[in-house]
Amino acid sequence: MTVRLFELMLKAAGYTVVISVASIAIGLLIGILVCAAKLSPRPWLRWPASLFVSFFRGVPLLVQLLLIYNLLPAIGIAVPSVVAALIGLSLCTAAYQAENLRGGFLSVPRGLLEAADMAGLSPWQHFRRIRAPIALRLTVPALVNEAILILKASSLISVVGVIELTRTAQNLAASTYEPLLFYSVAGGLYLAINWVVAAGGSLAERALRRGRLA
Amino acid sequence: MSFDGSVILAALPAILSGLKVTLGIWVAATALGIALGFVVAAFRHFGPRPLGLALRLAVEVLRGTPFLIQIFLLYFGGPFIGLSLDPVPAGLLGLSLYAAAYFSEIFRAGFLAVPRGHVEAAQCVGLSQAQIVRRILIPEMTMLVLPQCVNMAVILVKETAVLSIIAVPEATAVISALGSQQYAFVESLFLLAVIYWGLVEACGRAGRALETRLSKFRFA
Amino acid sequence: MTLPAPAIAIRRLSKSYGRTEVLHGIDLEIARGATTCLIGPSGSGKSTLLRCIAFLEEATSGTILIDGQPLGFEEQAAGRRVRLPPQRIRKVRSGIGMVFQQFNLWPHMTALGNVTEALVTVKGLSRQEADARGMAQLRRVGLEARARHYPSELSGGQQQRVAIARALALEPEILLFDEPTASLDPELTGEVLNVMRDLGGEGMTMVVVTHEIGFAATVGQRIVFLDHGRVLLNGTPAELFAAPRHPRLTQFLETYLDRGAAMLLKPA
Repeated sequence: MTVRLFELMLKAAGYTVVISVASIAIGLLIGILVCAAKLSPRPWLRWPASLFVSFFRGVPLLVQLLLIYNLLPAIGIAVPSVVAALIGLSLCTAAYQAENLRGGFLSVPRGLLEAADMAGLSPWQHFRRIRAPIALRLTVPALVNEAILILKASSLISVVGVIELTRTAQNLAASTYEPLLFYSVAGGLYLAINWVVAAGGSLAERALRRGRLA
Repeated sequence: MSFDGSVILAALPAILSGLKVTLGIWVAATALGIALGFVVAAFRHFGPRPLGLALRLAVEVLRGTPFLIQIFLLYFGGPFIGLSLDPVPAGLLGLSLYAAAYFSEIFRAGFLAVPRGHVEAAQCVGLSQAQIVRRILIPEMTMLVLPQCVNMAVILVKETAVLSIIAVPEATAVISALGSQQYAFVESLFLLAVIYWGLVEACGRAGRALETRLSKFRFA
Repeated sequence: MTLPAPAIAIRRLSKSYGRTEVLHGIDLEIARGATTCLIGPSGSGKSTLLRCIAFLEEATSGTILIDGQPLGFEEQAAGRRVRLPPQRIRKVRSGIGMVFQQFNLWPHMTALGNVTEALVTVKGLSRQEADARGMAQLRRVGLEARARHYPSELSGGQQQRVAIARALALEPEILLFDEPTASLDPELTGEVLNVMRDLGGEGMTMVVVTHEIGFAATVGQRIVFLDHGRVLLNGTPAELFAAPRHPRLTQFLETYLDRGAAMLLKPA
């Protein structure tokens, strides 16, 4: 493999990272809303949120991507394939992140909340100062895990024609007749990115360790 | 857009045959993954260190790379090292190896989660090392990890869809082909999504029921 | 009259974890048919000593004789310490039963299953025979009615009594207890201590690591007070607890007023 081709692969890996990060970020925002709806006492909020989570966790990402990619033009919305891919990845990760957040909020011990009530915190202070910080600390490991999952899952957007790392490897493998080489390099790049994410995650966890639940 | 149901009705036999392949590969890959994953976990827990490290590396690679890349490597790269497989065996082998890596981690964590005291209690009443593994470690570990195994099986149902990319004639491949032939792509994809959704929900429910029933055999 | 040979004889026993030595040359004899209580502050090495007697920990040097038989290691003429073959270790260990602080019942087996496991797999008894013996032991600890329950369905006190039945089923010469009531709610400790009191009354040789000073003073025939990995005091409760008392023991007892030490500290 020439240096030029390797540079091509590296650039594609960068594109994969950008798309993954964007999906995780958008997915986190949607996930927060969905989580709030699922924890809400109002059934008309809870019910659709549950349906959303169940659907996007129950259907293979590949099928979701094909559906969005084909549905949008069918209802008259023409978007580039990368936008369709971003929508698909974001909605899928939103469902998982909503569940992670909900798990975090539900594992905040009741006693801590009761202590905050007794200390006279207002409901908003109660949420901002006690519930949210503890819940978020509890969710960090799951968030790192989700980032790694999405990075790997982003390989599937190659199917709807986004030229990211997997698609680039596929193109080069086909034109050079060297699939072993290019798929191995692609695999190695995914692995390397994941190690960086995992290492960053354990740094974050260490930084939060002093504030974790005793 | 108009929703055309008649297309789907006409295609029912094809859909059923796709579903049969999906279910077959799923069940076989889950079973093979559990068996192989258990062997890997056992070697990592009880075996010699160098072997453990080699297995750890293999597991890390399989868990750290996309399943699609693994399948491409096996299906398109295989022939270059004398491993020419048809789509179905390639898909089954790839999914089983992928599953084995995740199952082995579940089992390994399970072995580590058995409290040391339970092993010590067995030593104190004179059970031999082999008896402790057979009578205490493996059953206790199994109780601990069954719910996660169900979880993993659910993930594997969804991964079977990826095999459509190497032309395994499973549900996703059959239905997308159908859709593009008959210009009812969106309808077909909806049907497909609902089928997977139902399958995953049913598995999830079964898993939760199992977890409730197992709680009796777990820690007090 | 000659004294009977001790059930357990410990000679110059030391145990280190890395560089920290937690037991410094313990010399101790445990009398047959008596209840010996090991007491002492946390970190004094009492649990480590008990775990060495159970051979769950291997001492760094020194020997332990169970009924005159070396446990685990044998000291040879030239002062060399040799590890004994596994069958011999298992044979000596089979005379010892152990009860843990955390009960350590196997969660996937019923109460009866826990008690009969070793009878079937180690002693090779038939199912019926093992069940009959197991039921007899459960009756002894008052839990016949709970035989088919899983540990998760039993209270802590009941679990500990099952654990005692499990140890008794193998008919050991010696029973070791490692803080058997420390993980129990106060209202459940009584039922476990009562079972232990009965066993002591039947002449079982017992070594009990405990913080229940009241129990030690009333049921223990010997009290061994450990401090910083050494045996500081060793005698009958009357000898140890009567004034003039060793100042370290007084200091220790003052931290356990709620566990029955208050009555010992009252001026006579």
